[in-house]
Amino acid sequence: MTAAALTVEALSVDLGSVRLVDGVGFSVAPGQVMALVGESGCGKSVTAQAIMRLLPDGISQSGGRIRLGADDLTTLTEREMQWIRGRRLSMIFQEPQAALDPLATIGVQIAETLRQPLRRVRGDVLRMLEDVGISDPERRIDQHPFELSGGMCQRVMIATALIARPSVLIADEPTTALDVTIQAQILDLLRRLATERQTGVVLITHDMGVVADIADRLAVMYAGRIAETGPADRIFAAPRHPYTALLLASIPRLSDVPKSQLAVIEGRVPTPAEFGPGCRFASRCPRADNRCVAETPPLTPAGGDHAAACHHPLALGEVP
Amino acid sequence: MIHTLEISNLKVHFPGRHGTSIRAVDGLSLHVAAGETLGLVGESGCGKTTVANTTVGLLSPTEGSVLVQGVELAGASRGVLREVRARAQMVFQDPVTSLNPRMTIGEAVGEPLFVRGVARGRALKDQVAVLLDEVGLRPEHAGRYPHQFSGGQRQRIVIARALALRPALLVCDEPVSALDVSVRAQILNLLVDLQARHGMSSLFVSHDLAVVRHVCDRVAVMYLGRIAEIAPRDALFSTPRHPYTRALLAAVPEPDPAVQRAKPRIPLAGEIPSPANPPTGCRFHTRCSLVQDICRREIPELRMLQETTVACHLA
Repeated sequence: MTAAALTVEALSVDLGSVRLVDGVGFSVAPGQVMALVGESGCGKSVTAQAIMRLLPDGISQSGGRIRLGADDLTTLTEREMQWIRGRRLSMIFQEPQAALDPLATIGVQIAETLRQPLRRVRGDVLRMLEDVGISDPERRIDQHPFELSGGMCQRVMIATALIARPSVLIADEPTTALDVTIQAQILDLLRRLATERQTGVVLITHDMGVVADIADRLAVMYAGRIAETGPADRIFAAPRHPYTALLLASIPRLSDVPKSQLAVIEGRVPTPAEFGPGCRFASRCPRADNRCVAETPPLTPAGGDHAAACHHPLALGEVP
Repeated sequence: MIHTLEISNLKVHFPGRHGTSIRAVDGLSLHVAAGETLGLVGESGCGKTTVANTTVGLLSPTEGSVLVQGVELAGASRGVLREVRARAQMVFQDPVTSLNPRMTIGEAVGEPLFVRGVARGRALKDQVAVLLDEVGLRPEHAGRYPHQFSGGQRQRIVIARALALRPALLVCDEPVSALDVSVRAQILNLLVDLQARHGMSSLFVSHDLAVVRHVCDRVAVMYLGRIAEIAPRDALFSTPRHPYTRALLAAVPEPDPAVQRAKPRIPLAGEIPSPANPPTGCRFHTRCSLVQDICRREIPELRMLQETTVACHLA
């Protein structure tokens, strides 16, 4: 097995005394797309911000290690981290129009990642624009973001993120703001670039369809912890954690019976103040018992590199 | 038999820059029969929300006719509009901005009844309790404020308010798009349940084809202000006739890697053109892989192909 591009070990992130992310760990191999999936507030975006060391004020990493290749990012100074961002570790966001500088031309923004004036790297930027599927790059390079559609802006963001050939790209809901036909284009592009450039991609999303489309592996997060992790094919075919299984069953599909009742997860996600000593899904789980309320289930191997944090994991093919 | 909603040759234009006009909806006809749910799908900018807003009288038609239970909305007086709005109620995408933060849930849900003098005092309280119960909330919730509820519960409150006057038509504009996946299922189950219980007609606007397939009886696909295809649900999903419908279906990512990766890709080049300057002929021709000369010259008329009505020269 090749060395991981990114390894996150036992990451914890706190907001004051509230633990937002609790012992999250995963790794991403070069060229692999690893999806971090969960509903709002599960901690997936905070995890991404911690990896980039771009946590908002008041929120800080309180434990764990983040390794980029062989280097431990947690020991780096802010200056060193600044050097790493964009060069070895990049990020793209949900709202491409909001993430781009409205006053700078496309070319200038992409060149900025290389810390070079555009005239010196114009050829590289043009090639990159072409690589992300922007037609007529010679004209586009001197345009401003407002002259481009949402889909094109996302391509520009991807170009900006990848031009310095980082080993890891973090994509936070990169297609959520886009229409389905444009989403399909962007997902195809991300998949191709990850493979061609051997970039490890951490894809943050709430959309299981997007995961099924391009992820090799996934980690399902719930209330700040990883509920289940493993190869995408295995988790979709036979989820072991009841939360994953219910989440998958609650999505309307093109193949289900119209107007049938969809699976429902009763109740709501507990707030950090309500976290008990046990499994955080216990209050909503149809399989929960006293042990689940009292004891936190560790991530337990469920065959291969598939693991679930559940005292009563589902058997293969079982429904909760 | 009068349809609950009958839209004929509807045009809704907005003034654009430099004297141009944005033709958001440009010659659209459809109907929703009694007890039926019609899905209206399309990408951003196709005009689906403009159609929804016009249907409940929030926008006036530039041209054409909108009949709600036979009553004309185009050029209607304020009195008539007020009457029609009681029959056609709307549920918006974002439940957070749809509720007044200073009004209790009871006041919000009871307001339509109060304003129209349907009920007062004790009777009003009782009706609010019934409405809350219908959407899966408890009567004691009536005294609380919106911020005390989750997004899913707030959408239930918005639905209860929309049901208060027992409308003949419920217009839902992306009612589950702002919700988390697990909550989405609850609201979809509720909508399906309400359809069955009240036999209401519904116009269901969404960009999510899997959701539309789940709750609708018929589906209309819009592209750049016009109908590309209308068909009964099963016909649309099993034998889509319009190339745009086919591309849209192919682009929906299925939450199953085996299915998703085996799916044929129908990549659509480019993006939706501007409604200020729509292409000549078939509006889809700039992105269509089957495009012929006739598509650039002539606007395709809607025609029947078995159960499907489609606007394509080549279908």
